[in-house]
Amino acid sequence: MAHDPLAFFTLDRGSASTAAALIAQVEGRFRLLAHAAQPAGLPVDPLLARLAGDVGMAEPGLLPVEGGETSPWTDWPRLEVATRPPRSALLAAATERRLAELEQVVSGAGWAVAGRISPDRTDALEATALALGKGLDLLIVGAAGRPTGEERRALPDLAALLQAVLERRRDLPCLLTGAAAEAIEGWPAARIVLGPAPARTASLAPDPLRSLLRRAAGELARQAGQRPPHVASGRAGAERAPAGPADGRAAFTAAIASLAAVLGQRIDAVDVGAAAGQRVLATPEGLRGQLELVDAALVPEAVLEDDRLADAILAWSTLRGDTFVLRDRVRNLRLWPWRDAAGEGARLRLAAARAALVRLDTAWRLADGGGGNAAADAPADLLVASGGAFAVAPAPAIALALLDTLRRPGGMALAYDHARVLAPLGSLDDEGDRRRLLTDLLDDILVPLGSAVLATGLRASRHPGTLRVRSHGQALEVELVPGAIQVVDLPPGQTGTVELEARDGTWLGMRAKRVAVEVGGGLGGLLVDTRELPLRLPERPERRRDLLAAWERPLWQEDAE
Amino acid sequence: MIVRAAGERALRELVLPRPGLVREPLLHFPLGPADRPLVQRGQLVTPGSPLFERIPDAAVAELELHAGEEPPAPGTLVDESTPLRIAAGRSLRFEGHGRVLYATPAHRLRAAIGRHPQTVSSPVAGTVELVSPAAVSVRASGLGLPGTLAAGQPAEGRLAIAAPGPDGELAGSSIDVASAGAILVAGARVDLEVLGRARAMGVRGVIVGGLASRDLRGFLASEARQRAAMHGGSPFALLVLDGYGRRPIPLAIWQNLAALEGAPVAISIEPPLLVLSADAAWARPSSGRVRIAAGDLLGREGTFLGPAAGLRGAAGVEQPAGRVLLDALEDETSGTERTLPLADLERLA
Repeated sequence: MAHDPLAFFTLDRGSASTAAALIAQVEGRFRLLAHAAQPAGLPVDPLLARLAGDVGMAEPGLLPVEGGETSPWTDWPRLEVATRPPRSALLAAATERRLAELEQVVSGAGWAVAGRISPDRTDALEATALALGKGLDLLIVGAAGRPTGEERRALPDLAALLQAVLERRRDLPCLLTGAAAEAIEGWPAARIVLGPAPARTASLAPDPLRSLLRRAAGELARQAGQRPPHVASGRAGAERAPAGPADGRAAFTAAIASLAAVLGQRIDAVDVGAAAGQRVLATPEGLRGQLELVDAALVPEAVLEDDRLADAILAWSTLRGDTFVLRDRVRNLRLWPWRDAAGEGARLRLAAARAALVRLDTAWRLADGGGGNAAADAPADLLVASGGAFAVAPAPAIALALLDTLRRPGGMALAYDHARVLAPLGSLDDEGDRRRLLTDLLDDILVPLGSAVLATGLRASRHPGTLRVRSHGQALEVELVPGAIQVVDLPPGQTGTVELEARDGTWLGMRAKRVAVEVGGGLGGLLVDTRELPLRLPERPERRRDLLAAWERPLWQEDAE
Repeated sequence: MIVRAAGERALRELVLPRPGLVREPLLHFPLGPADRPLVQRGQLVTPGSPLFERIPDAAVAELELHAGEEPPAPGTLVDESTPLRIAAGRSLRFEGHGRVLYATPAHRLRAAIGRHPQTVSSPVAGTVELVSPAAVSVRASGLGLPGTLAAGQPAEGRLAIAAPGPDGELAGSSIDVASAGAILVAGARVDLEVLGRARAMGVRGVIVGGLASRDLRGFLASEARQRAAMHGGSPFALLVLDGYGRRPIPLAIWQNLAALEGAPVAISIEPPLLVLSADAAWARPSSGRVRIAAGDLLGREGTFLGPAAGLRGAAGVEQPAGRVLLDALEDETSGTERTLPLADLERLA
């Protein structure tokens, strides 16, 4: 990282919004001076000019000087990332089992699955109709490295059908994995890529086929050469992108790995945007797992046609009203994610974020199945939230949303990448530069949401247990309430020790009658969660809304405009 | 109200525009595996010109090939009256119309065929720009007004205003036989029952500001039934200009459509557009005009006065805001000034 000039912008161009930040060196240390966000599609330079102007008005001394005057902001470097629009694949396999394995890898690499072809579910007519569908980027044929007898018998006919499909769709490239490559004879070689077989055992760890798919998505995005259109299908605003901002999700992953090394902690990070959601797990030793999922977008495109998906979002909402009207409101959130962000709109958005986190967590656990690293179940030291999904929610409510959905027993700190700076920092090529900037900026770019202690298995009785918080020589003792969330005021910057004492024991990854956990403060304070794991919400809408509202009330204080 | 140049610049920098008219839009007509194009690239078409033959009852049929016979290429046209020559002195005949799918390794030739082809016509004048196995694309020689979503079949007709105002609703009772052949402008909302009546009365299409998703679902199901029928009936299209739920048509669009009443127009499904003739008069809104696209004031319009201090929402979360002079309502003598989130506005000019 160059030291001159000493100010630079970060830009995170998402599918629905663009976040910009101004960072400058102040007394030898990089600091976040200003940040803002705006809907995608608006020009970026005026946003940067406003950031520079605001800082120039308030603290002109913080900005770099050239010839006795503040240097022009247009000269300051930009660290820029852009979120690629998800690519769409048609999957084919000779058996349903192989198709499922293939889908897990493909969807975990951030691809949208446009259709599935297998001898058991599609005839030649349906398969050809799927291949003629619009918006397809790739046909992927999955087969094991050493196919089973059933697969070997079905592959020749499937290969003949798909070869014919490729003769009709001359614009469609094809990825043949595993033994499917044996069928390559007679196929249009210029459009064929060979890849490894999908892994039979799901794992969060880097996978060769997933890595290949990520590279393929990047290559297709470069060929398309366009900025992501608005997520609204009818409102494609095709703003041309500058030649090569780094991929936002890959950069976010790199930033989390660097952050884990800087803090020496196990870090779990979630990034929920309008086009996809992502989860990253990193330890000081390196990246442990990563999953990018189109279905974990704030409001997935399938919501436009699927009432159950809309209802799954509304199940997290405290909004009252006609179900059909609320479903329409969820669908409008998909069309215009930046609109209707005040009042009830903010609550609906956080409900959608919760549902997205649930989908992400479900896929995360599935992807971790049998991997042997138990990554999905181990609690992290720090849970980081990022993405436009959280942009208009109060910090304490974000903490609760994380705790509601990513439930692991134990204690952890919660933080929020409020200025969306992590991904741009992750785009730096040099690991040393990344770590140095993260070290400087840590306190500025990660808003401390608070700490959470999730202790399950507390039995209802007259005195189920006691919670003691010791901080700065003071002690606070409160009675534990089973099946509740209790908020203890612990401001940002303060640290303390939490002691849980339960008469019949409680579960924080291990059953114990007395447990002590170190915690840090935050805007949401300390959240002690004795609710069940997994969290089960009442079936009846009224009871569910009342319960959600009761949990949320202490953490979502409405201010007058 | 005169908006200063600085205010106009701020408006361009801060508020997303509503998509405006598109010149010579490219319309796509997707093809199924058995469908057969009736046009060639570069061909000129007019409203009513046949574009392709749709085979709504397509199914897979297969015939046996002998060892060593060269199967026809995938996509080869199949016609029951014209046998497929596959070797010297040997030909195969499928009992229907459609296209070859593929030949299996076990020497079976499979084709997608049906017996009741329907001709799909162009709703617009223009030039065929692309004919591929997946679609026919036509460059329309007109102007396209973008919508948010469309459903049904591309259709053309004369434009007719059928609702009392941009925030009104289309009543079923206002549709009669005189509406046959028309594309109706329906105001802020239309329900499934009214859409059914419109189709039954021979209406060719409906343009509406908003549509409840349950009505859209019902309409799509009804469309699927129509298409599966042997005689699909006249094409009927639905164009939603704004989004889901009840949403008024922007006043400027309403006024322009009212001025064009009686003119021939078409609805494109892919992309969702209203296609007007190239010489259609379309007045642009004056500069500084904005529309409120979300929230309690949805559909109200006004003049952007400039940026304002941010609005504080939940627990201090700030939203960038702007000052808007709202147009006076009927019972008001003058407009009122409001500070509104910039993200909820759309620029009209």
